[in-house]
Amino acid sequence: MTYDSSLSFIFMNTTRVVFGPGSSRDVREEVRALGCTRALVVTDSVLASRTDVPGRIEKTLGDACAGVFSDVVPDSGVHIVDAGAAFARERGADCIVSVGGGSAIDTAKGIAIVLKEGGSLRDYEGFQVLKRRQTPHVAIPTTAGTGSEVTYVAVIKDHEAHQKLLFGDYNIIPDTALLDPELTVGLPPHLTAATGMDAMSHAVEAIHSQQNEPIADGLALHAIRLIAEFLPRAVADGKDLVARGQMLIASNMAGAAFSNAQVGLVHAIAHTVGARYGIHHGLANSIVMPHVVRFNGGEVAATYRPVAGAFGVGTEGLSDEACAEAVAARLSDLAARTGLPQTLSSQGVPEDALPELAEATLADASIIYNGRTVLDAEEVLGVYRAAF
Amino acid sequence: MSIRFPSEEWVQAFFTAINESPEYKEGGKPWTHGVTALVVNAQPEIGLPEDYGIWLDLHEGVCREAHHCSSEEAQTAPFCIFGDYARWKQVIHKELEPVKGMMQGKLKLKGNLQIIVRNVKAAQALVTCATRVPTQFLDEP
Repeated sequence: MTYDSSLSFIFMNTTRVVFGPGSSRDVREEVRALGCTRALVVTDSVLASRTDVPGRIEKTLGDACAGVFSDVVPDSGVHIVDAGAAFARERGADCIVSVGGGSAIDTAKGIAIVLKEGGSLRDYEGFQVLKRRQTPHVAIPTTAGTGSEVTYVAVIKDHEAHQKLLFGDYNIIPDTALLDPELTVGLPPHLTAATGMDAMSHAVEAIHSQQNEPIADGLALHAIRLIAEFLPRAVADGKDLVARGQMLIASNMAGAAFSNAQVGLVHAIAHTVGARYGIHHGLANSIVMPHVVRFNGGEVAATYRPVAGAFGVGTEGLSDEACAEAVAARLSDLAARTGLPQTLSSQGVPEDALPELAEATLADASIIYNGRTVLDAEEVLGVYRAAF
Repeated sequence: MSIRFPSEEWVQAFFTAINESPEYKEGGKPWTHGVTALVVNAQPEIGLPEDYGIWLDLHEGVCREAHHCSSEEAQTAPFCIFGDYARWKQVIHKELEPVKGMMQGKLKLKGNLQIIVRNVKAAQALVTCATRVPTQFLDEP
């Protein structure tokens, strides 16, 4: 990594992280540590109906549980956030405990805003507009991928306007994250793989971001080491608590890295194909990541030398371009070893849609930080074609 | 002669610079999303006792109207960007790219960031127009 004298950045990482098997059983103490007495549990409908995880959290909270709001769905909406906030207010909640993946945690971030400020979530669309800390929030991730428990962004859909709204604010970073590997053992192999590659994409994108910096780079590089080693183990044996734990840690570190350094073209493409074809976000990231690395490698190949090192590649004597190629190959290999599909065509994306997808990708906010500046849809189309 | 920033005179010079700019005429062509308001946060110690709003009615590469407004009026615009004096000064000097500034909390955006990003060329052209206004900053002799 080289940084020049113009290096200038802001690094924010305010979440208290509590790690360990069974750490979710500390939820009551952690709620109290925030000065709160009544927590609303926010979770998704699938987790609530198919597992006992939210029920266990509710039981552990005991009389500190104000209620369970389990209406969160993938692509959570403004109306769900507003309903959750109304429910929280009705139950007298003074803090939120989110249990689930990115949708549950993002919904909880939205509820935290509306519960504190009133009105509707729509009133707060924007970046950094909140003037004070929002409702205290303990996040308990049940997947190792999004890193949402440490990020400052929530993505919530406005189902009426058919658009995704971005809420970015340091005041919505969760106060506490409980990383309990026991809660992720039930995640099936294909979701373990896809969410794990989501974490990998956060780490790789933080490093090839135009806003990369030494603190985020350090977090991202170690996240890559952990994911490369432990994701195949977690996929092969979901009950491997060591692998599950290391994946949660990697996801958390990658989350903190990209929350500061931002993401790039991989996410811009994944957001676009996810919205049009419903491709799982982590899977979409996994499919396009090697191709974006090759694309970026044409201009910023040196960025990938330490990444290759984190993958265990001996980089001495290798050119920067060879390092970038080695990273792309390792990413493809990891996806293959964890059983993930590797083409967009396999996910139902038609070839004749690629030009329009490339145009739409240019409008995604993530693209502005990509290591190689992208202003031309033709360049993006080349990446799509390679990933097709 | 340099013009004091912010002031109605500066706003009108900015208005002229936008409408004389070939870059904005081209880059701003796709912008059909309504008024963008800018707010310079109050800083009494440098002679800015109240928030200073700038109302820019931008449409398809043209600035149809520009005037000073209150912070309250600015917040009725579809897009409102707030910032401290030093941050706006960095923007005018091209030391702070506005979209990155919003994401880092150096500037605050009320509105849809995706639309701003989709029109990043327009945003860049506006900054270029601001650099063309000979500016006297309040915190400089």
